[in-house]
Amino acid sequence: MSSSRRNFLVAGIGLPALATASRSADPEPQTRTRRPSDIQFEYRTLGNTGLKVTAVGMGCMVTSDGSVVERAADMGITYFDTARGYSGGNNERMVGAALKAKRNSITLSSKSHARTGPEALNDLDTSLKELGTDHLDIWYLHNKTKPEDVTDDLLEAQQTAKKAGKIRFAGVSTHSGQPTLIPWLAKNPHVDVVLSAYNFTLDPGVGAALEQAAAAGKGVVAMKVMAGGFRTIKPGDPAYPKLKQDGGLLAALKWAMRNPKVVHTTIPSITDNDQLEENLTAMGHPISVAEQKLLAERMELIRPLYCRTCGECDDLCRQGLPVADMLRILTYADGYGQFALGRERFLELDPAHTSVKCGDCPSCTVQCPHGVKVVERLIRAQELFAC
Amino acid sequence: MLKIVFGAALAAGVLAAQTLPAPTCNLVPGWTQSGAARTYESDNLFEYMDGNAEGYLIYGFQKMQGVSCKKGEITFVMDVSDMGDADSAYGIFTANFDSRQPGNKIGMGGQIQPRRAVFSKGQYYVEIGANPEGDHTAALTEWTAALEKTISGRTDVPPAMSWFPTEKRTGLRLVPESALGLRLLKRGYVAQYDFGKAFVVFEASPESAAAVMQKLKARFGDTTPATIADEAFQANDKYLGKLCFFRKGSYIGGYTISQDGNDGVALATALADKVR
Repeated sequence: MSSSRRNFLVAGIGLPALATASRSADPEPQTRTRRPSDIQFEYRTLGNTGLKVTAVGMGCMVTSDGSVVERAADMGITYFDTARGYSGGNNERMVGAALKAKRNSITLSSKSHARTGPEALNDLDTSLKELGTDHLDIWYLHNKTKPEDVTDDLLEAQQTAKKAGKIRFAGVSTHSGQPTLIPWLAKNPHVDVVLSAYNFTLDPGVGAALEQAAAAGKGVVAMKVMAGGFRTIKPGDPAYPKLKQDGGLLAALKWAMRNPKVVHTTIPSITDNDQLEENLTAMGHPISVAEQKLLAERMELIRPLYCRTCGECDDLCRQGLPVADMLRILTYADGYGQFALGRERFLELDPAHTSVKCGDCPSCTVQCPHGVKVVERLIRAQELFAC
Repeated sequence: MLKIVFGAALAAGVLAAQTLPAPTCNLVPGWTQSGAARTYESDNLFEYMDGNAEGYLIYGFQKMQGVSCKKGEITFVMDVSDMGDADSAYGIFTANFDSRQPGNKIGMGGQIQPRRAVFSKGQYYVEIGANPEGDHTAALTEWTAALEKTISGRTDVPPAMSWFPTEKRTGLRLVPESALGLRLLKRGYVAQYDFGKAFVVFEASPESAAAVMQKLKARFGDTTPATIADEAFQANDKYLGKLCFFRKGSYIGGYTISQDGNDGVALATALADKVR
């Protein structure tokens, strides 16, 4: 494990212990401007694109009304994201109408799910029409998981669009598979911006991969900065009030944007004006000790389930199982709801390992120093995937 | 009418116990299944449509069954989603409806376009996507008709749909939370007009609706009273325009006017008269 990866693990998981260190290590924002509302806007540059954007942008997918988008632009948010497929195309129309007067002073991105170049270019033309603009600042190939998903055909479509002046920069969005996909994107000269799911519960490898992309000059935009972490918390859960109502969401946003060497901007989904105002306060106010504790409590809840991939269990299994890999794979299904991906990765393991049944062992030689219930988790992985 | 609305919700709750209909390719002759059938629930919808799942979850998505069917080079990707109740199913339909194009009478409401068909019936929301590019209207029409027959449930639209005038209306949708971008207005219908917006949201009781009205007045600050239904006020907002909000029992409704020459009080009064 590389030292940077290990460092990231510590920063990502040891939240309470790292509270003080994290505070002192908070990097200085590149620019800060005090606004009348006492919101301290923080601007960052999206890698080599040179686009300067607010550290908190706006994901418009579930925004309830165009007036919220318009207000966000007036208040100073400079990055807005939508996609061709949101609300059957209605979302682009709402966003375009709301930003009409501000188009030249904001960064606007959209995305296409298309799988072929011609279809993607058709999507782009529709996006431009619906958004009422002649160009997008960033155009993403949406929801890619593996390097093979980012085909030459699609990359060529982006270059064609660039030459035609329809887009300024080419991006790729990803919700899973980041540890493999993002390093590949980081090396791809045709990719300018990476948009990735990133939050405090994700595999630390995601952050390490994003840092690598940022170091390579790619713009890095984080999404799912809250939802991924709280998706499993529902009303009735004892953790719900604390996490949902006591500032947990804001804490999660601050966590995602805490290091500009990893993430340049974030695009939390903003539904209404209250959420907009709350999210803006994340800028200029680094994550506090109390907020880190709040997130740590959430981590504590999933401690028995969540592998930190620290490597302490390497070679401890008498059957030779790659324990950390198997636990990580199980997290795809249990943590992020991506059963198919988990099963796919499980079946890629050595058949000598996938055929092992932990329940057959009289005792387990693997003891997790972080309290992960290894045997239970491995049995679950075997029951879930090995069929 | 209030009783009808909540009665419908209650009935929808009973219907929630229904089995989610699974689309099959043999519903229309000549089509064969391509790949495995799909089943997703709220916890793993991200696996199927990461990047768009939130748009379903906010409308109460429960479960989805889907299948892809082929005929020659044409593939239809079909998904039936259980949205928990009929109002939510119709709600997500309204959110995805292209108001510039005509609708089709399928279930509670539908729309068939060259490469896409959507409709809602009962608590179910159905989508069909067609590949490759081209005009698949005829086949989509055949498929929506076949699928509709396999789905039981309400075919009448929510009563609130008839409350909003159609003249100059460019859209009407259910907003599942924060209507007009205001968290106080939890869930309701918002109609878009050339000159502004009209809305009606539902509160649990007249008392809670009255409490929301007080908070709204506090939020907008400088308000003037109006004489509509149980209570009403006017205000100005930089983004919403000239407002006229009223409360009628458990309902809060009103207009936001962004173009001069439109009488918000008169429009709101007419809307309040329709709300029952």
